[in-house]
Order: sequence, then structure tokens, then C-alpha cells
Amino acid sequence: MGATEFLTRELRDRARALVFWCVGGAAYVAMIASIFPSIEGSPQLDQLVQDYPEALKSLFGIGGVNLTTGAGYIDTELFNIILPLLVIVLAIGSGSRTLAGEEEAGRLELPFSYPVRRRDSVVAKGLGVAGEIAALCLAIFLVLAVLSPIFGLNLPMGHLAGAVMGLALLGLLHGWLSLGVGAARPGRGLAIAIPAGFAALGYLIGGLHELAGWLDPFRFISSFWWVGQSPLTNGVELARLLVVLAASVVALGAAAVLIERRDLQVP
Amino acid sequence: MADAPAIETRGLSKTYSNGVEALVDLDLRVERGEVLGYLGPNGAGKSTTIRCLLDQIRPTAGSGSILGFDTRTQSVEARRHLGYLPGDARLADKLTGREQLDSFARLRGGVDDALRRELEQRFDCVLDRPIRELSKGNRQKLGIVQAFMHRPEVLILDEPTGGLDPLVQNEFRALARETAADERTVFLSSHSLDEVQHIADRVGIIRGGRLIDVDSVDSLRERALRHVTIHFAEPVDATAFASLDGVRVEGSEGPIVRLQAPETAMDAVVKTAARHRIVDLVSQPADLEEIFLELYRETDGGD
Repeated sequence: MGATEFLTRELRDRARALVFWCVGGAAYVAMIASIFPSIEGSPQLDQLVQDYPEALKSLFGIGGVNLTTGAGYIDTELFNIILPLLVIVLAIGSGSRTLAGEEEAGRLELPFSYPVRRRDSVVAKGLGVAGEIAALCLAIFLVLAVLSPIFGLNLPMGHLAGAVMGLALLGLLHGWLSLGVGAARPGRGLAIAIPAGFAALGYLIGGLHELAGWLDPFRFISSFWWVGQSPLTNGVELARLLVVLAASVVALGAAAVLIERRDLQVP
Repeated sequence: MADAPAIETRGLSKTYSNGVEALVDLDLRVERGEVLGYLGPNGAGKSTTIRCLLDQIRPTAGSGSILGFDTRTQSVEARRHLGYLPGDARLADKLTGREQLDSFARLRGGVDDALRRELEQRFDCVLDRPIRELSKGNRQKLGIVQAFMHRPEVLILDEPTGGLDPLVQNEFRALARETAADERTVFLSSHSLDEVQHIADRVGIIRGGRLIDVDSVDSLRERALRHVTIHFAEPVDATAFASLDGVRVEGSEGPIVRLQAPETAMDAVVKTAARHRIVDLVSQPADLEEIFLELYRETDGGD
């Protein structure tokens, strides 16, 4: 009852779209995994890639991983850019729609006239967004766990679990940041632009801070740096993931506080 | 709290960040069991008042209460006893009517299911089609059901009958009257006196963010000027009408005389006119805007 209805609503309304996200994401992951056997047998590809300019390798996380191992291949092809992009797009899309988008469409006016605290509503919506991210990440995890032995990827399961957790936290941070921006100011545009800009900046800093020394002091604001590159090859550090989780919780907490402090807009 | 008025505002003011004074020092009191029509032209501050009461926007000064619960500090408690219907209810497009009402019922934490079904039938709601396929009127009917289905103590209805066909409007008016007869309170905003005059006990008139007048419907109607056009069989002298109390001659051309007259003067107007042969007589109620102007004139004169 009460505010949990916003969580129910978010998950039910999004169930259909979420199935497409999960099926599409899983299909892409499966396709990439299925190509591995033909890469494995061609070490010259790895050589070719290692000749790329340093900046490019660093940005795409190709430096320091071996493309002919399953972990290095999946890191490069999926975990270093494509999957974070996928999960963050889902997260920002949902985080901005569920509050700022609904407000812009005038659909918060009636539910917010019910005896429910705004902050509880926003937290419930945040949990809904988290549920969506969890579903997509679970689908990715399951596909890789099942296909790893079949296509000879030999992914270490602990690293895979850590990598997917890092992925989910990247989504969570940007999704809840989007909710926070939407809570601070009305309008979906900013609720998309600010977390998207934060993600792009974080990605660039995370990829280039070692090469461009002047970026190095800023690495702490990069969520990608905290999660770490090539998680299947290198593993993830739990403590650093907890930092990202803490930042996410701060973003959601800020959303809950900020939504109480302003006037709601009607179109 | 038991003897607190249904709705009360004290010095309620709202200035938006762009400097617009939407509401200035509003003192309003709505008693329990009353239907109050809240009248004003578009942009007068009606919705601003309502949105302050719902705690959707925050007043820049003053305060409000519903059943004695402060609308800022005890907002959730206040809204527990409240049913709200906006003029153009924006619902969840993808849901069916039934799913939307289910969702609202859960959000409320439970409603009177028997009452809900009764209202659904009474307003002939379309329940099994997605809301995006429904007409404005059919959406508004769902809005009416959600506002009444938990038997709230106080109803706040913001221009509720837009988009409804006349039959449904009648049904809605009947529901509002039953609600008041049940010792519950209806706060009904509208820009049309027609819409509220058959339901409301009293009418509050707001313009430019200021409450101009609160009066009973009957006395408002008495004060409201009519436009009277009398077509005589032959040219007449209009000065006989000008000397009647409250009557103003707007114009006279040959056999046609146009007047403005309050309801109280109508008897005298007709009797004066009856001294001549009449071809036709038309009396039209003044629209609300003219009543406002009349009220303004009175207010200015009193200062």
C-alpha cells in the first residue's frame, strides 16, 4: 500500500520494455561470445590491436589485456564500453522518465494529491529503477555464465559476478543521479543531460587519466575509474564498488530531500 | 480538530519566481457540509489556491488548513481526508480504467470497494480499454470515481465538468449535492457561474489573486445585471427606464431599448415597459466577467 505503489507501477509499466532490453542485451552478448572461438585461434589480431595508438587503447581498455583470452576478449568487446553504455542508457532513461518525465506530462499531480510523502514516492521510484537495472544485469550475467564453457571463454565466475556488479552500480549511480536532478529541478532534459554528461566525462577520465597527467587528479570523480577497467581480467575491488554504491545512495537521498523543497510543475 | 472548518486559509499568498503575484493575502473559510463555488476567470488564482491546499506548491506567506490539519506540516494527514479532481485529469495512458483505479486504490491504502463499483456504474465508466483510447469525458469520469471512491470528508474539484456531456454533468451535480447532504464538504472551482449556481451554497469570487467577495448564490444572482432588450411597437422615450433604481440605459434606437438591470429591478422594468405595446422582450444573464466588473465598481466605490 501507499508509496510502494510507485514501485509496483514502475516495474509493471516497464515490464514489456524491460523484456526487450533483456532479450536484446542477451542476444548481443551471446553473439559476441559466439565469435570468440574464431578470435582465439588468431594471435595476430592481438598483435594488430597492440599496435594501436596508446590513447585509443587506453580509452577502449585494450591496453594490458590479452584479446585471445576469454576474459580479455569479453572485457574489450563488452565490459569496457558497450555494456556500461547499455546499462547507463537504460538507467538514465528510466530515472528521468519516472519523475521528471511524469511531472512534465502532468501525471504527478493526481498521485501526489494522495496521502503519500513525496520523498517516499521518489525512493519507491528509485527502487523501481534499481529493479530494472538488476533485471538487465542479471540477464547479462546468466548469458555469460551459461555460454562461457560452451564457447571456451573460461571466465572466472568470481570476476564475472564482480564485473556485473560493477556494471549494475554504474547504472544505479547514473539512474539515481537522474532522479536527483529531476527532483531538484523540473524538466526531463536536464535529468538526462547532467547524468549523461557525467557518464561521458567519467568515461574519458577513466580511460585517459594515466596518459594525460593533468587529468589524473580528477580521476576520483570518474565512476568508471572507481569500478575499474577490464574487470574480468583484473577483478574488481569490493571497497571501490562500495564507494560507487555510497555515491548512488547519496544521489537518491538528495532526490528525496530535494523533491520536498520545491513547487511541483504542471504543464 | 472536530470543530475546525473544512478548509481555511489565513493570509495565503503565492508569488511565483517570475514575480507573478498569483495569490495575495487570501482569507477563506469553508464550513463543513457546505458546497462552495470558487469562481474566477482563467488565471485568477483558483488553481494556485488549490495547489497550495494540496501542498503541491508552497505559499510565500500565510497558511492553510484542511479539517484543522496544516497543509504544510500535516499535509499527508490533510490529504488522507481529501478527494481531488483536476479539470483535465492526466492519467496513466497505458493502463485500462480498471487498472488505473486499482492503482489509485492501492496508493490510497484501500478504498470503499462497494462505493467504487457504485460510482463506476453510475458514471458508466469505460474500464476495460486503455486510457489513451478514451475521450476526454471518459477520462474525466474515471477522475470523478477516484476523487469520491474513498468517501472523503473534503472534495476539492478544479473545473471538474469540462469535457463532460450534459447528462453526466447533471449526474455529477447530483453527486456533489448528495455529498454535501452527507455533511461532507465540496470546494468547487469554476470560471462559470452557470456551472456552480445550482450546486453551491456560497460563492467566493477571486480575481487577480485577490478574493473579491464571498456571498450566497442567491444574493449574487440578485446583484448580477441582466441585459434586457425591449422591442416596442413604436418609438418610446427611454428616460422612464433610466429613473428606475439600479437600471442603466445602454442605448435606444427608435422602438428598441437596451438596458442593464439587476434582478431586483426586473419587476419595475417590465411594468414600465408594459405601458407601451411590446413586440419582443429578451433578458440575458450577464456573464461572469461583467459580474466581476460590477463587483469591482462596488469595491472601488466603497474604498
